[in-house]
Amino acid sequence: MRNMRGLPLVVLFGAVQVYAQNLSFVTCPIVRDTKTIPCWLAEYKGETYYLGNQGGVAQDFYPPQLNHEVLVEGIVAQGARVCGGIPLRPVKTSVFLEINRACNTILPAEDEIEAPQSPPRPQTGDAVSWVRSDGPGDNTLYFDFDNDFLSIHAATAIQRIAQYFQQSKASEIQVAASRGSSRLSNGSVLIEDPKTVTARAAKVRDILTGLGVSPTAVKVKLNVDVREPDGLNDPWSRKVTLSVK
Amino acid sequence: MKKIRLIVSSLLCLTGLGVLVTPAQVSQPQFKWFQAGAGLVLPGELTFDNASGRLGILNADGPVNTKGHPFFEPLGVNGRACVTCHQPANAMSLAVGTIRERWQATKGKDPLFAAIDGSDNPSLPQDREASHSLLLNRGLFRVGLSWPPAQNPNPEFTVEVVRDPTGVNRDPVWGLKSAKPTVSVFRRPRPVANLKYVLAPDNGPFNVKLGVLLDKDPVTGKPVSMNMMADARAATLAIQAESAYRDHQEGKAQLREDQLNRIIAFESQVYAAQIFDNGAKSLTGAGGPGGLGPLNLLRETAGVLNTPAKPVFLTFDAWKTSDEFRQSVARGNEIFLNRTFWVKDVAHINSIGLGNPAKRSCAVCHNAVMSGMDRAPGWVDLGTTNYPTWTEPKTWNEAGELPVFKLTCRADVRPHPYLGRVIYSSDPGRALITGKCADIGAITMGQFRGLAARAPYFSNGSAKNMRELVDYYDRRFDMGLTTQEKEDLIHFLEVL
Repeated sequence: MRNMRGLPLVVLFGAVQVYAQNLSFVTCPIVRDTKTIPCWLAEYKGETYYLGNQGGVAQDFYPPQLNHEVLVEGIVAQGARVCGGIPLRPVKTSVFLEINRACNTILPAEDEIEAPQSPPRPQTGDAVSWVRSDGPGDNTLYFDFDNDFLSIHAATAIQRIAQYFQQSKASEIQVAASRGSSRLSNGSVLIEDPKTVTARAAKVRDILTGLGVSPTAVKVKLNVDVREPDGLNDPWSRKVTLSVK
Repeated sequence: MKKIRLIVSSLLCLTGLGVLVTPAQVSQPQFKWFQAGAGLVLPGELTFDNASGRLGILNADGPVNTKGHPFFEPLGVNGRACVTCHQPANAMSLAVGTIRERWQATKGKDPLFAAIDGSDNPSLPQDREASHSLLLNRGLFRVGLSWPPAQNPNPEFTVEVVRDPTGVNRDPVWGLKSAKPTVSVFRRPRPVANLKYVLAPDNGPFNVKLGVLLDKDPVTGKPVSMNMMADARAATLAIQAESAYRDHQEGKAQLREDQLNRIIAFESQVYAAQIFDNGAKSLTGAGGPGGLGPLNLLRETAGVLNTPAKPVFLTFDAWKTSDEFRQSVARGNEIFLNRTFWVKDVAHINSIGLGNPAKRSCAVCHNAVMSGMDRAPGWVDLGTTNYPTWTEPKTWNEAGELPVFKLTCRADVRPHPYLGRVIYSSDPGRALITGKCADIGAITMGQFRGLAARAPYFSNGSAKNMRELVDYYDRRFDMGLTTQEKEDLIHFLEVL
C-alpha cells in the first residue's frame, strides 16, 4: 500500500482487536426514539449494539434504513452503553438494496435512555472518515457494500482532485476501483457484484469530466478480482482511489 | 439589476406599494381572467380577492404592456398564451374554480380546453364536459412524455397501462403503443412567480442527494437548481418556454431569441403572495411577519437554507401575542418548523443519508427560505402518486380518475428503495425522464406562496383544499395532529 497515511488506520483497526472484538453481521436495524434525536441500534446474538445517531448528510455516519437489512462491520468499544447498546467504534453500515419488510422495529423513548450529543469516538485516534486524503492529488473513497452512492464528503473530494489536476497542469488522473468482500462473524463471506465496481468508477469519471477534466485524462482501472476477506479490514477494501499524475 | 431593484423598491415605498395591504383596496376585475392577446397593460401591482383574503402580484420592473408580449400573446396555433395557464389572479398558476368559470363562460370553447392537453384524451369528443373532467375537477393538464425517455433509451423498468379511465394511454394515436409511444400523466400548472427562489441552485456543483453533478444550463454551463417542473425535466426557463410553446400552444416553429428573452424577463420579475387574510387581516403591515407579501419576496435573498436564525418564512414572533387568529398562524409556523414526526419511506429524503425513518419536522424537507421548497433538487417520492400511499382510492373504485401504470424494474438495477421492483403508480414522476427505478413517483416540491389563490393542491390536484392537504400528511406520516394543530397549519399556509 503506497498511502502511508492509510496504514495507521488499518493498523488501528487491527490493533483495537487486541483489546476488543470485531463484529460483522447482517441484521435488521432498529431505531430507538429518545427525548431528542433517534439512535440506531442492531442486535447480534442476543446483544444490542449502538451504531450511531440520526444526523444530516454532513456527518460520516449515514444511518440504516428500516425495510432493509444492513451489514454491520465494527469494533466493540469499551465503556458505558450508549442509547441502550454497546457502541461499535468505528463502525460501517451498508444498507442492502432489496426490501425486507420484516425490518420494521421502532422502539419508543425511555426516560433513562438518551442519545449522546455526539457519537463516541473510537478508543484510539480520530473519528473515522470514509474519505482519506494522502495529499492534494491522492484521495481514496470508501463505499458501502455493493453500493456506488457518493456521500457529499466523497463528491467534494473528487471536486478537490479535479481542481488540483487543473491547477497543477498534470497529465492524467488515475481512477482505480476495487471490489470488496466481507467476512462475517459467523464465518460466511459476502462478495461484491463486479458491476458495482464498474458503476463506482463510472460515477467518479463522470464527475471528473463534468467538472471539466478532459475524458482522455481520466484513466480508469477496474480491479474485480475477489480479495480474501479477513473480517477486520473489509470496509477498507471497497474503494476508489484517485491519483493525479 | 441590483440598481434597478433598489430604484423599484424606493418607488414602491414612495407610492405605498410596500403596504399593498389595506382591506379597502379593490381587486382589479378586468384582470381576473387575463385573455391571451388582450393587449392590456398589466399594472405594477395587482390584487385579487380569493376565499381566504387577497393575493398581491408585484411586477418589480413596473407595468407590463402585454400587447405583442410573447408571454401574453398566442404564439402557437391553438389560441393559448403562457398567461392562459399562468393567471395573475391565481398566483400565476390556475385554480380549478377559474377553470370551471371559463368553461361556463365559453361553453368549453376557450383555448384553455384545447384538445391536446386540456382534455382527458384528444381522441374524445371535445364538446363534452366529461371529456375535460380532469381539468374541470382537479385542474390537471395532460403531459405526454415519450417512452422510453430521450435521456435514457434503455430505462430500468417497463411500463404497462393497467388502468386507463381517460383512454389516452391505450389510445392508438396517443398511447403507449402508438407510433410515437407516449405515457400520459396529468399534472397541475406551477406558479410562474417568485422564480428566483425556484431557480436558485444549491451550493456547489453537486446534487447532494444523489452524489452526482447537478444538471447544467446548456448556455452558461453553470449548475441549475433542478427544482423547476414536477419532473425537473427543464433545466432553464428558456428550455421550459420552448417546450411549453410546442406542447401546450402547439407551436410549430421555434421561439425567437427576443421572444424567449422577453418571456424570461417577465417571469423573473413577477412576485405573488397573499397580502390580506380574512382572519389575520393585513399581512404586510409594519411590525408584522417579515416573510409575507410579494414585496418581501422581492427583497429577500434566494438560495438560503432554513436555520433558527432565519426560519423558512422568517419569524412570526410578533403574532404570538396578537389576536387569536394571528396566534393560530404563529402556532402553525411553529408546527411547520419544529413539530417532529417519523418521516418514513420517502425516496430521496430518507434514502440520502438521513436514515429511514427520520424524526424530523416539515421544514427539514421544505427548507428553502421564502419558498418552502427544498434547496437541493426537491423531487421526492412523498407517496402521493404511488400505491399504497397514493391519493387515489385504495380499493377499486369506478370513480378512480387517473391512469394506473404497473412499472417493473429489471433485476440488475437498484430497486425503488421502499417499493421494490414492481410498483403501481398514477404518475411515475421523475422516473419518466431518467428511466430510473429509484425515481418512480418522485415529484418536485412546489413552492408554498399564494396557495390560497390556486387550489387544488399536490401535482395531481388531489387535495381540493388545504384541509385535505394537511390530512394527507397526517395520515401518511401518522403525525397525530389534533384538530387545533390542523387548523393552525391551515391558517399558516393560507397567509403565505
